[in-house]
Amino acid sequence: MTNPDWLETAARRSAYEAWTLGHVFTRYRELEGRSHEDLAKALGCTLEVLHWLSLCRRPTGETFTEQVFVLAKRFEVDPLRLSEVLRRVEVMDALSARSDGGEATDEDTLQLAARDRPYDEETSS
Amino acid sequence: MSFPSRVDELKLHERVLQGDPVVPVDVFRTFMPPILKVLESEMSCNREDAHDSAIDAVLSYLRTPERYDPQRARLSTYLTQAAKKRAMDRRRSSDARTRREQDFAGVFEVQARPPKEVLEKSVEASLAAQRLDSLGLDEREREVLRLVLQGERSTRKLATVLGLDLLPEDEQRREVKRHRDRLMKMLERLGKEDPDDES
Repeated sequence: MTNPDWLETAARRSAYEAWTLGHVFTRYRELEGRSHEDLAKALGCTLEVLHWLSLCRRPTGETFTEQVFVLAKRFEVDPLRLSEVLRRVEVMDALSARSDGGEATDEDTLQLAARDRPYDEETSS
Repeated sequence: MSFPSRVDELKLHERVLQGDPVVPVDVFRTFMPPILKVLESEMSCNREDAHDSAIDAVLSYLRTPERYDPQRARLSTYLTQAAKKRAMDRRRSSDARTRREQDFAGVFEVQARPPKEVLEKSVEASLAAQRLDSLGLDEREREVLRLVLQGERSTRKLATVLGLDLLPEDEQRREVKRHRDRLMKMLERLGKEDPDDES
């Protein structure tokens, strides 16, 4: 996959679009104090692949796992690492929404927290 | 670097509507190169503005894909028009910014004076203030004079300062004019009495 000269700008702009993985990655990096390079390493990909991934739609809803695997397959990244990043951000956003008087319910938060177990726990179950 | 066929466009759009997580990459890869080409050739955009405008258009479509109606236009047309509009907006705001900066530079150039002249002007201003005191204007009249000298032309604003804002509009206009004329006449007389005026 060749990398056009607009890719980095597009990836940077994706951070402002809540529906993108770029937005999730930015939130994750803020929460964890990680650089782009750290995140790329954690996902097992290059910085360019991280830029392409940033443009993708973030997985949500019933088919969350399926969508994660589609992304992982296309960009050859570790699906478990990717879902771990997504879940971490989801949990923190849900908690922030609650503390800001948002609409997240106790049930929502518990479900998200339950899904937030470390990826190696999932692999061993 | 050309647009895809209508059928391929529709397939892409369908995947976008279905929420396919990787389709944004395909949309970017398919449409960015031809859109950039149009922006650079037809709009004479520089590379950076072309990138920003095309990215804006594609992201906007992906954010709310249901706003695109395939019955009305091809997706390539829709995205190109959106990108052109963004480029036009960008150019307008850049032109406006340049004009504002030029205006500011012009005003600054006109107003900035050498230190000696600044001192002379402040002495003149102090004398002028003393002479204005001699007119015996009350607070309201001073404020009206200040506004008029600054170019204020709004009857309503001057009427408010003079406490005439509850009068009917016709009467308000007449009274404001009367006050303004009187003040200007007083200023005129003050000018004629100026002992330093050699003319």
